[in-house]
Amino acid sequence: MSAQALKSDITATAPVPEASPFDRWLPATPATAEPDWLARIRAAALARVRSEGAPTGKSEGWRYTGLRTLLEQGFTAVDEPLSALLPEDIDEVLVSGLDAHRVVIVNGRFTPQLSDLSNLPAGVRISPLCTELAGAQTALADHLNAVAGEGAHVFAALNSAGFEDGMMLHAERGTLVEQPIELLHLSVGMDEPRIAQPRHLISLGDGAQVALIERFASLGDALYGNNALMEIRLGRDAALKHRRIQLESPSAFHISGVYLSQAANSRYDGINVGIGARWARTDLVTRFSGEYAECNLQGLYLAGDKQLLDYHLDVHHGLPHCASRENFKGIVHGRGKAVFDGLVYVAKDAQHTDAEMSNRNLLLSEHAEVDTKPQLEIYADDVKCSHGTTVGQIEPEMLFYLRSRGIPQALARRMLCIGFAGEIIDALGNDALAAYVAEAVGHRLEAVPL
Amino acid sequence: MLSIQGLKAEVDEKEILKGLDLTVGAGEVHAIMGPNGSGKSTLAHVLSGREGYAVTGGSVTFDDRDLLALEPEERACLGLFLAFQYPVELPGVNNTYFLKAALNAKRKYHGEDELDAVSFLRLMKEKLKVLHLDDSLLKRPVNVGFSGGEKKRNEIFQMALLEPKLAILDETDSGLDIDALRVVANGVNALRSPERSMLVVTHYQRLLDYIEPDYVHVLAKGRIIRSGGKELARELEDKGYGWIVDEAAA
Repeated sequence: MSAQALKSDITATAPVPEASPFDRWLPATPATAEPDWLARIRAAALARVRSEGAPTGKSEGWRYTGLRTLLEQGFTAVDEPLSALLPEDIDEVLVSGLDAHRVVIVNGRFTPQLSDLSNLPAGVRISPLCTELAGAQTALADHLNAVAGEGAHVFAALNSAGFEDGMMLHAERGTLVEQPIELLHLSVGMDEPRIAQPRHLISLGDGAQVALIERFASLGDALYGNNALMEIRLGRDAALKHRRIQLESPSAFHISGVYLSQAANSRYDGINVGIGARWARTDLVTRFSGEYAECNLQGLYLAGDKQLLDYHLDVHHGLPHCASRENFKGIVHGRGKAVFDGLVYVAKDAQHTDAEMSNRNLLLSEHAEVDTKPQLEIYADDVKCSHGTTVGQIEPEMLFYLRSRGIPQALARRMLCIGFAGEIIDALGNDALAAYVAEAVGHRLEAVPL
Repeated sequence: MLSIQGLKAEVDEKEILKGLDLTVGAGEVHAIMGPNGSGKSTLAHVLSGREGYAVTGGSVTFDDRDLLALEPEERACLGLFLAFQYPVELPGVNNTYFLKAALNAKRKYHGEDELDAVSFLRLMKEKLKVLHLDDSLLKRPVNVGFSGGEKKRNEIFQMALLEPKLAILDETDSGLDIDALRVVANGVNALRSPERSMLVVTHYQRLLDYIEPDYVHVLAKGRIIRSGGKELARELEDKGYGWIVDEAAA
């Protein structure tokens, strides 16, 4: 698609640069047989990517999150599907004891031979996004970008311009899915640094209930990138439990966004765990489209040496009687760095909003850094809102208590860290998943000089 | 067992212990009594190795080892146990996990195999019975949301499990009503043995009605100013500390 054609789609005031630092993230050849509406979305997204370019430290959302290392990697788009993997090849990244319907995305592509959807109950449809798009359903036109369109940052636009595949999940009205659905992003390093941009569309009909376990894992510790984007629409009274476990390779770069639209009386319960990746940025964005909806966002991050983990939360209360809870806890060690930016916006009409935000951090070393920025913007006058952040070290009193019982200092510190993280791990609400996360946390802390 | 000679210690450059001498033999129960600010808790903390106390003079030997040269965890592994006046809450640290870690740390220190989960649970059950402790406390995070009495009972339970040679009870009676006090004291008495010495630090005589000491020492202004048998405690209860402090000053 020529730059000339692009210009016609956007306002003529600002000239669009002919290239962006991200052009090589896009597939070289446009996917064939894409419907017109999608071509238009992609063209508009690309125009935005080119006009905005890479965010700099001057833009508020990126003040603490440098993009230099990300841009230096010279990422290019994943060029062809990795089809040679067999089910036994992925045993090592599975969660032992987890009973779930499973979708495996390998380097950004829905991989049916590794997925297991044989027992999916009636009323739930899960399919590769690329086949849905090839079917040229116009219904998808209303869905794609419906939630993550305006206001999302440039990486969301980049995903729109370049995604090739992902998962589409639809639960019909009133469907209760008892077993969780696992969405595993499996990354396998290639000869050169590749970046995948999967796109997922989730919609729950009125009253539907689903548990989604989204994981990011890798075979080996290769350098690769992910720029994953998920759009979620919850119907009236729908409930989604969403667990996101980021255990990318230690060399990986991870960008992910969850954009959520909640109808009246719906409930979203999300827990984000971030342990892996060298550089990771996650955006969680919620909009309420009906009253009495509830959004619960919890998180746990462990940032170590030369690692950056960044969580940006954006909850917009535009309607009355909705509730949001944010509870993120972080442990930072070595020269690790974490960013927590939580915005709760309460519009003038959003009376009786109930919003609570908490971010607590444990710094284990002198050079560990956390930049925490809770923001409440309240324009309504009858609301219940609170926020609190703490950045501290292990309490000497607690440490002495353990040592006075004969427990060596390093183990005592580890026990207190695991105790600190325990609140979020317990909240996962799935024994197999909790054991998996607890082991990953323990494993990481064992490697840390304490 | 324990020999303290001329012990001097400071907190924030203020001298609290000013040359304290005390010898505790195996199986003996010694009560340390004294008015507020006399240095009772400082003594307990210095012996257990808590940070923030500077020892400026004297020596402490415990089983022929220089106690003051050891880290707190080594002191514990060698058989010293401090029952805290204010047991610390450890959010997220499961009580059973904590007890197992403590017991196994001690076993490891002495070159013994760690206890497996089954043997450990069996041991806990046995000790629980002795102390009449509700096992629901074991499933909760250490001391979190425990009542004052539960916290103190949890201290004594740890003591039962770790089987120390020397137990220091720091104001174990503080904040307990009479029923809770009786339960705690019964637990302590159940743990008395010819191999186990105890240092009972208290302001009030009432604890000593339940835990009967072999010796009573009065600590005032950083020194032991009077030692005697259990009748000394009774005398202090009747007459207060004033007379004895004045007498020592005279």
